[in-house]
Amino acid sequence: MSTPLTELPPSVVSDDAALRVVVVNGSPHDKSKTMGLVDVALDALSTMLPTTVHRIDVYRLGPEFATATKREDVAPDVETELLAAETADLLIAATPVYRGSYTGLFKHFFDLVDQYALANKLVLLAATGGGDHHALALEHALRPLFGFFQAMTAPVAVFASAGDFDGTTLLNPRVYGRIEMALADVAGLLAQRVHASSAQEQVHHD
Amino acid sequence: MSFEIGIMTFGEVTRDPISGELSSPRQRVRETIEQAQLADQVGLDVFGVGEHHRGDFVGSAPTILLAAAAQATHDIRLTSSVTVLSSEDPVRVWEQFASIDLLSAGRAEIIAGRGSYTESFPLFGYDLTDYADLFREKLDLLLQIRERNPLTWSGRFRAPLVNADIAPRADGGTIPIWVGVGGSPASAISTGRLGLPMALALLLGPITFHEQTVELYRAAAEQAGHDAAQLPISINTHGYVGRTSQKARDEMYPYFAQGMADNNHQRGAGMRIPRAAFDAQATPRSGLLVGSTQEIIDKLLTYHDLYGLERAIIQMGFGGMPQKLHLEAIERLGTEVAPVVRREVELRTGRAAA
Repeated sequence: MSTPLTELPPSVVSDDAALRVVVVNGSPHDKSKTMGLVDVALDALSTMLPTTVHRIDVYRLGPEFATATKREDVAPDVETELLAAETADLLIAATPVYRGSYTGLFKHFFDLVDQYALANKLVLLAATGGGDHHALALEHALRPLFGFFQAMTAPVAVFASAGDFDGTTLLNPRVYGRIEMALADVAGLLAQRVHASSAQEQVHHD
Repeated sequence: MSFEIGIMTFGEVTRDPISGELSSPRQRVRETIEQAQLADQVGLDVFGVGEHHRGDFVGSAPTILLAAAAQATHDIRLTSSVTVLSSEDPVRVWEQFASIDLLSAGRAEIIAGRGSYTESFPLFGYDLTDYADLFREKLDLLLQIRERNPLTWSGRFRAPLVNADIAPRADGGTIPIWVGVGGSPASAISTGRLGLPMALALLLGPITFHEQTVELYRAAAEQAGHDAAQLPISINTHGYVGRTSQKARDEMYPYFAQGMADNNHQRGAGMRIPRAAFDAQATPRSGLLVGSTQEIIDKLLTYHDLYGLERAIIQMGFGGMPQKLHLEAIERLGTEVAPVVRREVELRTGRAAA
């Protein structure tokens, strides 16, 4: 079921020319600060590039997902979600910091992702925590996870503390600034890939 | 507007760590009114009572204590510090403060806060997961009640009001409503956007602790079209004015350490602040307002210069300081500190001639 190694990564220029952004959301809550942070990033990204967004709430994937230990065991709808993450043009990996790291089911989702499916995939890391002292969980927990996958994590990861939010609405302009900076890099990398891929198509057509 | 200096209390009922005595709640409520009376007599500008729903405080119903203080005082402004608005009915809050305003001939004020303690939520049947939404909605309702009468309003957390007559109205037509901010960027920003005065709470830490909070507040106010420079900011911080620098520290420390142990729990147990850490908090570049008359004057002026403050409210008596020491500190603050600070601020801001 996993994407074969030999298969070329899906072109970032899909039929409708929109970039497929997939969010893997590790928050267990319906209304979450983590999604409050991600929504700001998605909003800002949509002003830079045409995007379609697919969101995967790992805590809504059900008990069969939670108990699956092998990719073969997952239900078809969960398989669809795993494939969506594996074939995204941009993956946003977002989680609250629980007990010093990503949440349990967030990691479980990636435990079911094919070992090479995320190789060279552009991944934006995002996390929220009770205080600023959790910020480096992005670097010490999230980034190594995607290092394993040989993914291309965006250089700037975005973090927001509980105090930056009114409920789930992000208010702190400094975090907005950080998101803009992260997205400038992401948009640059995506644009390069679009360019490279259309140049390649050009060669094929000639 | 000149610089205002006040005091506030939670009405602590804490066992005296030196004498071992525990004052009764009956004694403590009377002492609280006596503090207000003296603060008024020595010319302080504000008296505040905090809201805490626990056996070791008598301040669970600050409006009742403020009403009693209204009868015992003449000029001093009377404020909650804070009203935990999220677990209150804003209609009732308005009715009570308007009554205090009538009793005191226009001296009532409200500091509306989210509450640093959460005991009131289960007591009044509110869910802590609604923390942010509760405050936003209730503040909106309170501001609208202040704005107009009768009022038609609807929200999520209480029954709608249809052409409701909410009485009495305030003595002077309005009541100042401040928002208590603990320092989170988001609450400073929401307060700025609403163009409301901000009462900043600073517990411990560098005196510059709230520079960013104030910047964010003013920037948010500006962006929302308010005259940011005109918005008043107040600081609430612990303190004590002693006869000498050393005496002040020696007298405040045992009680403050007790108060911290009772209220600042780590791993489920109280943590006493070590004397060295306390003394560090008392140095000129940190926030605690403890020291001699001159030290308090200097530090209040530093606060004023840093944040453009209009008001400082000093929390005294934390940890159940004996009434005698508490009253002496109020007297020094009113007679020796306040006149100098007010005059100096007027000189610095060029408002003396106005």
